[in-house]
Amino acid sequence: MTPPDSIGATMPTNEAIKSSSAAPSPTDSGGGEPPIHRRPWRTLRKYATIFRVSLSERMTYRSDFLIGTTLRFLPMVTTILLWQAVYVGSGQASLAGFNYNEMIAYLLLVHISRMFSSMPGLAGGIAREIREGTLKRYLTQPVDMIGYLTSYRIAHKVAYITMSFIPYAILFFICRNYFETFPDPLTLLAYAISLILAFMVGFYFEATVGMVGFWFLEVTSLLYIVMTLNFFISGHMLPLDLLPQPWQGILKALPFQYMAYFPAVVFLGKVRGMNLVYHLLGELAWAVFFLVLARFLYRRGLRRYGAYGG
Amino acid sequence: MPIIEVEGLTKTYRVFQKRDGVRGAFQGLFKREYKDVHAVEGISFSIEPGEMVAFLGPNGAGKTTTLKMLSGLIYPSAGAASVLGFTPWEREDAFRRQFALVMGQKNQLWWDLPAGDSFELLREIYGIDRHDFRATLAELTEILGVEALTRQAVRELSLGERMKMELIAALLHRPRLLLLDEPTIGLDVVAQVAIQKCLRAYHERRGVTMILTSHYMRDVEALCDRVLVITHGSLVYDGPLSGIVDRFGRFKLIRLEFEGTPPDNLDRYGDVVKHEGPLAEIRVERSEVAAVLGSILEQQTLADVSVVDPPLEEVIAKVFKEARAENDAA
Amino acid sequence: MIRTFGKYARLLGNLARYTLTRELAFRGNFLVKVSVEVLWLGILIAFFRTVFAKTNTLAGWTEPQYFFFVGCFFAVNGLIETLFMENCNEFAELVRTGDLDFLLLKPIDEQFLVTCRRVDWGTAPNVIMGFILMGISLVQMGWQFDAVRVAIFLLTFLCGTIISYCFMLLLTSLSVWMVRNQSLMEMWWLFSSLARYPKEIFAGPWGAPLGFIFTFLIPILVVVNVPSNAMVRMLEPGIVLLTVVATVILLWLSRRFFQKALRSYRSASS
Repeated sequence: MTPPDSIGATMPTNEAIKSSSAAPSPTDSGGGEPPIHRRPWRTLRKYATIFRVSLSERMTYRSDFLIGTTLRFLPMVTTILLWQAVYVGSGQASLAGFNYNEMIAYLLLVHISRMFSSMPGLAGGIAREIREGTLKRYLTQPVDMIGYLTSYRIAHKVAYITMSFIPYAILFFICRNYFETFPDPLTLLAYAISLILAFMVGFYFEATVGMVGFWFLEVTSLLYIVMTLNFFISGHMLPLDLLPQPWQGILKALPFQYMAYFPAVVFLGKVRGMNLVYHLLGELAWAVFFLVLARFLYRRGLRRYGAYGG
Repeated sequence: MPIIEVEGLTKTYRVFQKRDGVRGAFQGLFKREYKDVHAVEGISFSIEPGEMVAFLGPNGAGKTTTLKMLSGLIYPSAGAASVLGFTPWEREDAFRRQFALVMGQKNQLWWDLPAGDSFELLREIYGIDRHDFRATLAELTEILGVEALTRQAVRELSLGERMKMELIAALLHRPRLLLLDEPTIGLDVVAQVAIQKCLRAYHERRGVTMILTSHYMRDVEALCDRVLVITHGSLVYDGPLSGIVDRFGRFKLIRLEFEGTPPDNLDRYGDVVKHEGPLAEIRVERSEVAAVLGSILEQQTLADVSVVDPPLEEVIAKVFKEARAENDAA
Repeated sequence: MIRTFGKYARLLGNLARYTLTRELAFRGNFLVKVSVEVLWLGILIAFFRTVFAKTNTLAGWTEPQYFFFVGCFFAVNGLIETLFMENCNEFAELVRTGDLDFLLLKPIDEQFLVTCRRVDWGTAPNVIMGFILMGISLVQMGWQFDAVRVAIFLLTFLCGTIISYCFMLLLTSLSVWMVRNQSLMEMWWLFSSLARYPKEIFAGPWGAPLGFIFTFLIPILVVVNVPSNAMVRMLEPGIVLLTVVATVILLWLSRRFFQKALRSYRSASS
């Protein structure tokens, strides 16, 4: 059984969204508006409305949320216990530069990273819209697809993170002893930036994968495989430092580490000084790279789409 | 011995009231408001074997809920029912073997497979003897005129053909009782008539008891001798279709044919519903028909005159409209 | 009794055949599913190889013993996924759309129809992969054939699968009351994480009580632990007995709960 992250690629998970259920209705965009670029404030208001409606939709389901949260704690518990057994078994205080407390702190922190960078249903949703032709509505209504999806996704993320705040606060409070030192303000700032960039890398990476749907209709299978693999190569399961070379070097050169590993080690203060700056710039570069790639593919894809009449 | 006996059947739902906006949704997390919806309120009736009965009523009146309680899909909040000698919501296998429910809005056939495969599966589920199965299937495909279509994937069939397949699926185990919920919904007139014909033919051959809910009066007129009218959860009429007019039709239509052009001031007699050439129709309260007719005959020169009931459909639409208005007022 | 059993077995066979016909029509899907599962097993192996590069034993389990455990988990879970998971996952949707009606109308046990309607052939290879992994680790540890162990392994493997099924049915039943489809797949993944590791890791001031709870009160820990232990580590008659008893109790309990859930079914129209 594969982890839920990869399930999220095709199945609606707790956080997942069926993007088709939230079509931009004419009321959101006001049919006969002038082109977007001339009226920036209206554009902003439009996306703000999309944001608000999506947020309110998310908050409605109480029982699902409570059961979901309770269950969500279980893997955390077993992870802590497993690594406790690993450290006891090895008889060493430090593995690959991580002591036991740091290891648990790391494994808790990757959840925060993934909270920002995982995009359940995004690529699948885009691919479905391409396949079923519902994509057309972005062409007939004065709303940009990637812009719409971004505000929709940010709303869901804000709601999800808000809703998860209390349970996570409790969890981190319970586990506070695993955090030996609290990071200084500058590190915290770097952490915040790395998380926002993690969202961007995650979002535009998945959007890019979704755009591949213009060329290959069965993109969900590709996604399924990528997401399963991502679970390991992003450092979600263990710090990449534990892996032998050359694997460690390869995985650290790929963008996936920014979706889980990197923000966590920033928080733990394992990356400092200029090294931190370079990595943040690297993360930004990857986010921009995927942003440009997604837009490029979208534009090329639309041309192709229009060619055979959608 | 009635095949169905229903006594004081009631179903009440609790529904969560969603509040608007972000704040409302947040509040909904902590405190919820519920509303009781009385879908069915103390309905009683009984049905004899071989009858064809229609449930009539506006949307949300409780027809479907009643039907679903009779088929054991949902549990009533109060009341009792005996269907084929069983309590339906205990869902005993012996009970479920003897009836069928067809829902026009849903399909049970496997979408990607030929209907024949679904039938085969149903044979297995109902434990139908292979020989009987073949005979029934042949008979049904003949009645419905779909012999050639059972090997075609269901998704490739037209809506009408699919409905016929659904009917076959429901009748394969030769139920003694057939419950039909909107069996012709979404079909064009030709397909509607075809389904009606099949149902009547099947009824004649097998004497099966049928209960039907439908929006289309034509279905009801074509099939049912008896009608139960349900409006917001209560039974307001039980009797023959024509009786509805007597019971609810407060008006009659006076049809006049003049020798020349009719005069313009006809509206002093009542509501003028039609005024074309030498013809006019005036709607008049039942109690005043005699008086109005008297004064018309006295004052006008006529070629012909007749008094008729307004069309059934109109009467029923009016009953429903009034029921809704009452409901809104309450 | 035997006739009923025969009827249900035949029905199951037919359902399996129909789903296979359907699955073969979408061969691409099937291949993707299988390759993802192979990939996932590969990731698990990579993960534990990395861990065992740093330590010789994990909670008292040597590397080959541990891989036997992983294989056993993969096989149990594969069986659950092949036979029940997709059906249970669909239950919430059936409730939401009202299509559950059709299943309730049939003169067949509702639980059987809801949970065994379809066979998900795409995950069937997981069972084989699990057994292959178990076989490899048996060879690696130089396991001596022991008929008693094999018999007890098979018994508790079956019990473990049934226990998993019962827990899944309990989770499935919950969806009748839920407003929105909380993906059962996700709930199951989270819940079954308890069965994924040896029960010996449940140590320490709060780990040990949790281990007790999940062995005796909510016996999810016995699912993979008992058969693996019986096969490659020590044979404990007490816990084997507990597993059998728990299986019977859970079968009864989950069925009651499921029937209670059905009473709350509203049958949405349209």
